[in-house]
Order: sequence, then structure tokens, then C-alpha cells
Amino acid sequence: MKNSSHDLSRAPAWRRYLTFWRTPIARDVDDELRFHTSMRVNEFMARGMTEDEARRAVAERLGDMNAVQSACVELSEVRERNKRNAALLDAFRNDLRYAIRGLRARPGFAAAIIVTLGLGIGANAAVFSVVDRLLFRTAPMLRDASRTHRIYFSYPKPDHDGAFTLGEIPYAHYRTIAETSGSFVRAAAFGAGHSLVGAPDEGRDMQVAGVTAGFFDFFNAPPRLGRYFNQREDVLPSGEPVVVLSYAMWQTEYGGRDDVLGAKIQIGRTYTVIGVAPRWFAGVWTAEPPVAYIPFAAYGASMNYVGRGDTWWTANGLNIAGVLMTRKPGVSIETATTDLTYLMRQSWNSTDRPSDSTLQPSAIIRSTLPERGPRPTEVAQVATLVGAMAIVVLLIAGANVANLLLARALRRRREIAVRLALGISRRRLVSQLITETLLLASLGGIAGLLVARWGGPALRAKFVTSTADTSVVTDARTLMFVGLAVLIAGVATGLAPAWQAGRLDVTRFLRIGAREGMLQRSPLRASLLVVQGALSVLLLIAAGLFVRSLDQARHLHMGYDVDRLLIVGTNMRGVRLDSARSHDLWERLTNASRTVPAVERVSIARDIPLLEIAIANIKRPPEMDSLRFARLPLMVQNVVMPGFFETMGTRILRGRALDSTDVPGSMRAAVVSSRFAQTFWPGQNAIGQCVMNQRGVCSYVVGVAEDIRYMWMNDDPAMQLYTSAAQTPLRQPNLFVRVRGDAAPHAERVRAVLQREMPGASYVTVTPYSDVVGHAMKSWQLGATVFVAFGLLAMLLAAIGLYSAISYNVTQRTHEMGVRRALGAQAADVIQLVMRQALLLGGLGVALGAVLAFVAADRIEPMLFKTSARDPLVFALVIVAMLGVAIAASFVPARRAASVDPNIALRSE
Amino acid sequence: MPKLEILRGTLDLLILKAVSWGPMHGYSVAQWIERATNDLLRIEEGTLYPALHRLENREWIAAEWGRSENNQRAKFYSLTAKGRAQLRVEVKSWTAYSNAVFEALAAPAKPA
Repeated sequence: MKNSSHDLSRAPAWRRYLTFWRTPIARDVDDELRFHTSMRVNEFMARGMTEDEARRAVAERLGDMNAVQSACVELSEVRERNKRNAALLDAFRNDLRYAIRGLRARPGFAAAIIVTLGLGIGANAAVFSVVDRLLFRTAPMLRDASRTHRIYFSYPKPDHDGAFTLGEIPYAHYRTIAETSGSFVRAAAFGAGHSLVGAPDEGRDMQVAGVTAGFFDFFNAPPRLGRYFNQREDVLPSGEPVVVLSYAMWQTEYGGRDDVLGAKIQIGRTYTVIGVAPRWFAGVWTAEPPVAYIPFAAYGASMNYVGRGDTWWTANGLNIAGVLMTRKPGVSIETATTDLTYLMRQSWNSTDRPSDSTLQPSAIIRSTLPERGPRPTEVAQVATLVGAMAIVVLLIAGANVANLLLARALRRRREIAVRLALGISRRRLVSQLITETLLLASLGGIAGLLVARWGGPALRAKFVTSTADTSVVTDARTLMFVGLAVLIAGVATGLAPAWQAGRLDVTRFLRIGAREGMLQRSPLRASLLVVQGALSVLLLIAAGLFVRSLDQARHLHMGYDVDRLLIVGTNMRGVRLDSARSHDLWERLTNASRTVPAVERVSIARDIPLLEIAIANIKRPPEMDSLRFARLPLMVQNVVMPGFFETMGTRILRGRALDSTDVPGSMRAAVVSSRFAQTFWPGQNAIGQCVMNQRGVCSYVVGVAEDIRYMWMNDDPAMQLYTSAAQTPLRQPNLFVRVRGDAAPHAERVRAVLQREMPGASYVTVTPYSDVVGHAMKSWQLGATVFVAFGLLAMLLAAIGLYSAISYNVTQRTHEMGVRRALGAQAADVIQLVMRQALLLGGLGVALGAVLAFVAADRIEPMLFKTSARDPLVFALVIVAMLGVAIAASFVPARRAASVDPNIALRSE
Repeated sequence: MPKLEILRGTLDLLILKAVSWGPMHGYSVAQWIERATNDLLRIEEGTLYPALHRLENREWIAAEWGRSENNQRAKFYSLTAKGRAQLRVEVKSWTAYSNAVFEALAAPAKPA
């Protein structure tokens, strides 16, 4: 016998006790086979074999005993599992049926919960779909996403503390790094910008990307049509004129036809279409997918770089190449960073003219998502905050639902006690209750998806200024998120009532009557109401603070009129003009824009405040000590034509503006900002003072202008210097057009008139200045609108919660109220009684919320604009509003309580 | 005379037939098959029990623990309604199959 261990019938008696420790399945199989063996042995012995012979014969007939046994055990286990699952499924079906019946019996109750959860989950789903896209989801089809990075470089500031960080580097450095680094498997350079696509008179400004041939290897995205370009087409100096179109572009402009391959398209030069990218492919520009991809060399050449003895690919100051790299497996981020920093410094120091030997760049390896760069963007900060707020809204909704369920559980205590007494197990009871809340949560989730479907795109449009069709409506990640939210909400809100049902004292609730059973106060419910009120107050205060910020930003005096200005820029697209003809062109543009009826004034300047700055190279005045001079704030210079100040609406405080008398040969004139004057000549008259440039040439101050905002909105006003275009070289100017009334509606008219003056393929762009400023205000605008929406939603939910809780209490106390009225209480007394309770809860919530907001103020403060996070006005308004809501929510049920007819109430027993 | 090995697939049919007479344990199923085939068919007894469990999983037979004739704990199998239907189908197809094989064996070299 091979397996004596299974031969239990012959084993010593004590071994049989082992059976008790084996699983029932193994024991049953053993028993069955042992029975068979013993029967056979008896049979064979009856035919005359000895016991040993019989056993051998039986063993032979059975074959491999181990195999038989394990096969039987395995089959038995499958059977048991199936049985268990069937039982579970059956129980679940029963619970579900029970839950559906329960909800249909109280449609109002079910609807309240579903709507509440729907709003909470919907708000979260909408926010999730945005935050996920901004901060978490990598570009579609990206390979090895966890090892693929965008490389940034930081440079220490020469005379200030800290460093500035750039996401682009000169092309030459990119080449050195990409060709010598051993830490990466792939590298590519990329850049993108708006460009006129199509003929000048009918084309549109669209996002065009320039990428090296290796860029497409980062993606698992075979072309939809044709092919991508290769290294031989991406060659210096200007690449082959080939282009890969986006799927969307192919669909909208070429109707998705196959014969698009070989078609010509004008993007500055004329390109030949060689391929179409697959649908949803967006490179690394998920917020605004490019419509076309051209070789990086062609992109670089399109910059029309004019340098002294260098080219776009060797220029040390032309930061043009974004760098994308995939780490080798096993190479850590630290190692790769060290490697890149070393190579970058080597390359940096080897160039002909190191611009500054103290500027030693360091590499920073980050996500490919633009909002996840080395410095968190304001939009990313607000998005994160909005995410937190959405969760708070869900918490409030959850508290509401828990409260309603709890109230109902209290009301159903007698019913549950009866069912327990009739023998239903507590486990089944709890699972029934949880099934019920899960069903409610699922329905709430579906309602939430509807809310998100409607609210999501609106929200997304606020964050992403994209015109392209980026949205993926049926989104697996958002659905998964909603599923998770439903599960958590269902279990969390069902837990309290289930827990209460689970520990119910049956005999007590069977003994007492229905009415007394409900009069108990529930501290849990009261605290849920308080928490809910507190959270709403928190949200409303945040909303108020952002509204104040936006208000401050809007009313900030910029030092120029934002709404009445149009900015005209030119894109020469390789049309070369000598200085006389260039001058002539600007003259013609100026005159042409004056022909538009609404235009009031026109002027020309080099830089657009808020968009462009040029640092003023000023020599230290001998009377100022060098340490003080080194610590001066940034000095900015703009070169302007006559009429600039009047056009911008910048007031001249003293002296005169630059005008047509400031010509070559006459005294060099300058206008300085008020702060500039106060810093250099405190207490003196600035007019007539000398501002010396690095070559020692004096410009004499002829006027002092008011301060203007030159960079980000929250910066101090600039130390601003203006010089005359007639006396300072003016390259790449912009036209400023002042319009009567709101400028934006006139933009297209002005563009059409000016475009007629443009030679060849060159074209003009006309941008309302309010767009430029609006971009700078985006984060506050975003915060204000989204928070106000969420704050009001939270307040609504809190009001519903309070209202339903109070009216529930009133219903429960109908009898008591009847008795009170019968004993002589006036309606006013009853109202007071009810409202006192509501106001106590509301007041506690408001107080708690205000304290929380006060404590959390430091975290919000950096995101605000000229607003204290402890702004008393906002706090006061929110507190008053919330108390008002509490009064309103409790007044209706209080009135109902007061109107109880004592006769009816007492007789209803 | 050497005993015939049971063809693959026919063991299930024979088990179903055996338990169609009433509840029986594995040992008596084996015995029944031997006797009913005049001891011509030999069951590999090692395959009998997994086959019984498999049929039980398919719910063609149901099992119940009971006491045997000599008062030992034994597992009794009986045919379920589902099993009875299956038995009918299998008997029909087996008969058709074996008739076909007989026909073939009895056929002349060139069928008309």
C-alpha cells in the first residue's frame, strides 16, 4: 500500500482523532473512500483471500489513492463555494427586494436622499474630472508614464535670493544632453505656439507643435493615416516642410478623407501632409491639443531668429526646447537629476559666450503635466482647494442622509424589535439596512452622474481655456470615482442606523408603546447637524474671501485703462523689411486704425505691460551707495511713441509726456514712474534729473507718470522708465488702440482693417487687453465662481438638513405639543420652543465653522488677493446669512407645531 | 477473458443508470455496474469517485450521508430530476451512436 497515511482503517486508534482537526470536506472524502475500501476488503475476504491479499487487491483497483482523494476534495470545494455564493446571492436579492419595497413605500424620503447624494456626488464627479485632468492623468497613450518626465532647469538669480526656473532650454544644450546622457532611453524636444494655419486672409490662429522625430516614440500611438516624420526630415537649419495633422483637424478641415496625404497646408511656409495622428492623441498638450505637428527644426526656423552671428539652434539666449525624457529602468530620479545637471553645466560652460558664469543651472525632473511643474501654479492650487471643498460638500450631503436615515431608524425601532423577536438574525438585519443605503447611494450616484454631465463641462471650461475638443465624456476614471463615492457614502451613511439596529434592546422596545419609543433625543443626530452647519459656514467663508479677492483685483488701479484697449501685434512670417519700410508699415497701421470710427487714440510701444518686460540698464548714480542700488526692486524700461500715455490712460503727474519734440538730435528725454522718482530723488524735483545708461549717456527726466502694474497683479508697482522711440531703437513694437467704450467687440473690425496693410504672408493679431488681464485674474475668478457655487450648494444642503430634522422632531412631538396647547400654551410659546432648539443647533454649527475658518485662514491667505483670510466683513455676512437660513428652515415646522389642534393631537392615540 | 476498459464518457451514463434504481453509495454503484454488465466491464475504481463528485456538482445526482447495511457512515447518491432528464438524453444518443457503429461494422465493402 503506497499511502499508509490514508489507510485510516488500519491506523492506530489515536490517529482517528486527527479527523477532528481536518476540514469537514477532507473528512467526508476520507470517510467515503474508507467505506468503499472496507466493503471491498470484506467482499474479497468472503471470497477466500487473506486480509493482506484483499487489501492489496483493493488498493490496486483504486489506483493512485492520493490523486483520487485530491480530485474529490477539489470537486467538493467547488461545490461548497457555489453553494455559498448562491446563498449569498439569494440573500442579497431578498435584501434588495426588501429595500426597493421600503423605498417605494416612502417616495418622498427616497427622493430627498437621492437628490442630496446626487448633488454631493455630482459636484465631486465634476471636480474630479477636472482635477484628475489637471494634476493626475498623464497624456493619452503615453508609454512608461511613471518613468517619463519633463525636464526643467533652475538658475540662481544673480543678485537676489532664490532661483528662477525654466521649462525650455536652448536647442544646442538639448542636443548635447540628449546625445550624451546615459540615464535615459528616449529623449525628445518639443515646443508649441499659436500660428496662423491657412492662407493669411482666411486662416485661423491655432496651436501648432514642433517636435523632434523621437517625440512620437514616447507614445503608443500609431498614426491613424500615413506616417510620422523621421530624423532625416527633422534636420537643421529648417527641416523638411512636412506636417502631421491631428485627428480633429483632419476631421474638421479635410472631412476625414484619405486623400489628405500629400495635401498642402500653409503654416508660415507651405507644408505637405504626410500623416494623421490617432484620435485623442494630444502630445503633452492635453489642455490644448495642437492641430498640427511639424519637425522641430521647422518650428525653430519659424521663430525668425535674428541674432548677431548665431542661429536659432546655437543661440544661448533662445530658450526654445521643452525636454521630454524616459528614464532607463532602474535609474533613480536622483541619479538622473545629477546626470542631467552635470551635462547641462558642461554644455552651458562650453558655449562661446557664457552669459554669466555664476548662472549654474540645475536640472529638475518633473511630471509631463504642465500644472505639475516645479512651482505649483495658481490654477493647480485653486484646483486642489476646490477638490477639498467638493469633498466637504459630499460630507455635508452624507451628514444629511445619515441624519434622515437615523431619524427613520429611530422611528422604526419598534418594527425592528418585532422582527428581531420574530427571529431574524441581527446580521441579516444589518445587511438589509446596508443594502438599503447602498441602493439609495447607487441611485444617488446615477443622479450625480447626471449632475456631473451638466456641471462638468462648465467647470472644465473654467479651468482649461481650451477651444479644441478634448473632453472624453464617457470617462472610465470618473465612473470609477463615482462608484467609489457611492460605496463609501452608502456604507458610511448606513452604518449608524445599522449599528443602532444591531444593539437594539428588544424587550424594552416591545414593552413600551410606539410613542414613547420615539421621544428619545439623539446626540448623534444633533452633532451631525452641527457639523453640517460648521462645514457650510467654512465653505461660504472661503467663497466670500474669493469674491472679495476678485473684487479687489477688478478694482485695482492698474495705472492704465484695461477695458478700452486693443493690442495689435504683427507676425511677419519671414517677410523681411528694412527699417524704413518697417517704419512705413507701422505708420500705415497707425493711420489705418484711426479710420475705424470707434477708435479714439492710437500709439506704439515696445512692451505690453503684464505680458512683456525689458529690464532697464541704469548706471548707479554717484550719490547712491552701491549696496542700496543693488537692492533696488526691478527696474523696467519701455520704449514708446508720442501719445502713448494718453492712449493707455496713464496719468502724467508732473512735467510732460514724451511727444513729437523728442527727436534724434534733441535732448534725450525720459519719463519715470512716481515710485522711480521717489526712490532716486526722494524729496526733490525729479524733472531735469539725469538717468544714466550703462554707456554713461544721460536721459533727462521731463515728466513723472503714475505707477503701473507691469508684471503679476500682486507685485509691487514697477520702477518704470519710459524713453522715446525716436531716440531709442524700437524693435518688434506693438500697436495700442484706444476705443470708445468696451474694446473687445471692436477687435475683429480693427483686425480686418489692419490686415489689408500687411505685406505677403504676414498678418496681425488683435487682442483685447482685458483678455491679457483676465488671464492674470483667472485663479481668483475661478475660486470666486466655483466656491460661490459650492458654498450655496452647501448652504442649501444644510438648510434641507436642518429643515428635515426639525420637522421630523415636530412630527414626533405632535402629541406633546397638543398637551402643551391643551394646558394653555400659546402658539408663540410653541414656536419659540421649537425654534430655540433649531437656533441652538444652528448657532453651534455657525460658531464651530467660524472658528475652523479662523484657524484655517493661514492656508488660504496666499491664494487671496489683497484680502485678509480673516476678513471681518465676510465672516459677519456668512454668520448672519447662516443664522437666517437656520431661522427660515425651522420657522415652517415651528408654525406647523403651533397650529396643532389639541383635540386631534390627543385623540390620535 | 480479459475485462474491457470502460470507454471514456460512458462511465457517467452508467452511474446515472445505476442510481436511477434508487439511492446507493459508491461501492454499490461499482457493484451494480459489474453485475449489470455480467462482469465484462471493468471500472477503474479510482475514477469512479471523482466522477460521482463531478455529477453531484452538475446537480445530476444529489448526495446524502446515511448508514449502510452494516451500519457504517456512507454517502448515498440519488438521481435528481435534472439527472433523470440527462439520463434520457444520454441513453438516446448512446443507442444512436452504437447502432451507427453496428451498421458500419455490418456494412458490405461498397454500400449501395
